[in-house]
Amino acid sequence: MAEFSAEVFQNEFLSDGGTDVHAVVTVTCTGAGSAAAAGASPGAAGVAEIVAVDTSGSMQGRNMEAAKHAAAVAVDQIPDGTLFAIIGGSHVATRIFPYPNARVPMVAMEPGARHEAKRAISTMAAGGGTAISSWLRLADDLFATVPVAQKHLILLTDGKNESEPTMHLDRMIADVTGHFQCDARGVGDRWVVEELRKISTALLGTVDLIARPEDIAEDFSALVRKSMARGVAAVDLRVWAPQGSDVLFVKQVAPEVDDLTGRRTQVNALTSAYPTGAWADETREYHVAVRVPAKPVGSEQLAARVQVAVGDEVAASGLVKAKWSDDSTLTARISPEVAHYTGQAELASAIQEGLAAKAAGDEATATVKLGRAVQLAAETGNDEATSRLRKIVEVENEEEGTVRLKRNTAKLDEMALDTASTKTTRVRRA
Amino acid sequence: MSADDSSLARCPNCGENAAPRARFCENCGTPLGTTEASAPSEVTLELAPTVVDPDPATGDSAARRSCAACGGIIAPDGYCADCGTPGQSERDHFEERPADWVAGVCDRGVRHARNEDAMALAAGGTFAALVVCDGVSSAPDSDVASLAASRAARDVLVAYGPEGSSSVEGATSRRIAGWTDAMVAASRAAGQAVRGAAEQLAATKGTDVADDPPSCTFVAAVVDNGLIVAGWLGDSRVYWLPDAGQAEQLSVDDSWAQEMIAAGVPRAQAETSPQAHAITRWLGPDAPDTDARCAATLPTGPGWLLVCSDGLWNYCSDAHEMSDLVQRFATSGDPHTTAAALVRWANAQGGRDNITAALARVSPAVTEQR
Repeated sequence: MAEFSAEVFQNEFLSDGGTDVHAVVTVTCTGAGSAAAAGASPGAAGVAEIVAVDTSGSMQGRNMEAAKHAAAVAVDQIPDGTLFAIIGGSHVATRIFPYPNARVPMVAMEPGARHEAKRAISTMAAGGGTAISSWLRLADDLFATVPVAQKHLILLTDGKNESEPTMHLDRMIADVTGHFQCDARGVGDRWVVEELRKISTALLGTVDLIARPEDIAEDFSALVRKSMARGVAAVDLRVWAPQGSDVLFVKQVAPEVDDLTGRRTQVNALTSAYPTGAWADETREYHVAVRVPAKPVGSEQLAARVQVAVGDEVAASGLVKAKWSDDSTLTARISPEVAHYTGQAELASAIQEGLAAKAAGDEATATVKLGRAVQLAAETGNDEATSRLRKIVEVENEEEGTVRLKRNTAKLDEMALDTASTKTTRVRRA
Repeated sequence: MSADDSSLARCPNCGENAAPRARFCENCGTPLGTTEASAPSEVTLELAPTVVDPDPATGDSAARRSCAACGGIIAPDGYCADCGTPGQSERDHFEERPADWVAGVCDRGVRHARNEDAMALAAGGTFAALVVCDGVSSAPDSDVASLAASRAARDVLVAYGPEGSSSVEGATSRRIAGWTDAMVAASRAAGQAVRGAAEQLAATKGTDVADDPPSCTFVAAVVDNGLIVAGWLGDSRVYWLPDAGQAEQLSVDDSWAQEMIAAGVPRAQAETSPQAHAITRWLGPDAPDTDARCAATLPTGPGWLLVCSDGLWNYCSDAHEMSDLVQRFATSGDPHTTAAALVRWANAQGGRDNITAALARVSPAVTEQR
């Protein structure tokens, strides 16, 4: 049985008149088991897996062959008993397996199905345009036919969503949000990070760049394993805040920055819920900020109850407090956790804004933003971000964040920096 | 800071001279620098008697505590489910309502870590006894001392009451004399209770009872068939606040400020002077005497009898202002909601000290019964 624990890191002391309470809440899940085990018995538990592979004309050649190989490897990794399907996507979406003429939309994995699925995959051929909304629609239709708790889509593309207006994709993302989770992958340098990030963020998954086609298989295999390790479906983060207060934001800050604020649903008058998807044995950290009315010095106040809810059951909770004090040695301290993740979140947006400015030809803004990113990466000890940034900018002074934009940088390096921008390093705890 | 300096400490906020090892300024409630005594000792917790907060309607003590700030329910995590205010321990906030015309609320306030005020009430028929003791915060365990004192005094007063073993009876002048004796007996019993608690604490801790003995003020009022008698040591007060006519403070503070007022210094100036809160009489092992001073009055019309600690009157000392304040909150005529409103009001003013407000609604109906 999965167990959750929540730990709160904050400086609870506010100065006289202070209203804003910040805390980092670390949530850890242990004993999650596996999604496949949960699916052994038919019913609401269990897992369904769909792999959607780009079959547009641009995939022709190495990419198509690598993607087919990767899909086959994914099929190998999907354990017996798991419901699955394979989609080929261009300007339209086609169910590759189960075969289009099969009467069941998804089948349970078993050796025979695995063999047939691989055969079906081998027949995929590149041609046509790219309309990702049609892929999401077909995946949603297939998932809708199976009564399982966990539904996971792996989506691979190599190009821009060019065969439909952006609005179509946006509307489809909104339509399918909450129905399944999606990890999105881009191969090569002709896809658009922002497009796939939109999908993966809304669908509680990740976005990543696969630079070389031969690496797709390994990545797919890791994604399927990760998906199968998520033994706890549909976990909500709940935030209770007292009457008269405002929840300023709720952000996941580790392992990746993900602003949950906009995904709020109301549980009751004082409690909101934010979906976090399925969980494996893992730790995620959240930055919660609440604005409470100031109270007299000496008062104490509970500023938030941060709870982990599995279904309707609260599995763990942490208390965020406020204590007003006129002792500046207490109120001036900043929690190291809050400071670290505030910096990491700012780092993510500095990178994204800097790259967007650079792409738009606004070199002045790009220089300032990426300079700030270099500074923050150094301050928060994010070495991975530092080394990625150094491929894009010439660093003059790391501490002050002064940089020059490099000329003729590789597009792949920029995309790698962009996709990795939301990855955070954990705070170092003494 | 050396030990010598600390004995001369002044409040960093208002400049009031602090008593040696005081943890809070008696004037403004600012926490003072000493830390050793700030953590409540386990002994305190063990000896502090459980005070139940019975539901006035059913008499059951509430399993689900309600929030002192908003009336919501305290969640199992110890905070209000609605407003997030920390739930208070029963010692930190308790209420008593021995009759529908007598009730009181005793509260920790905002600034102090512990509630060193205590209150014990009794009532029946046309009789009521209201006792309030304010623990001296410079002495540790004064919360234990004040609770023991208030209950001992109340029990003595009940014994002199109409249902008691040595009832005060007779004509008004005889009853005044009788209740004056009863008051002195009650204050002595309270003093004895403080000494007993001090000795027990010293024995448990293995310290000398003469080191830092706990101490508290004493104030009591009795309503007996239309007669009101007050008794006190220290600066906790009794006010008689008639609906019509002159409001008066029946008690006279045993304090430095009062001595200055007696010497002709204006009240406002005396009560804000750095020495104002130094009390000249108290209950405790080191008290020179524990005989309450007494005053009596015979109300001619209905009104409110208020017994309170300085956590309330610090914000509203003058009897006329106090009368206005009580009238403002007494719209329902219910002593319980009125006392609770007074305590909330004092907390809203800053709650710099523990706050106790005990009220009896003395009405012609009550005085004419019997």
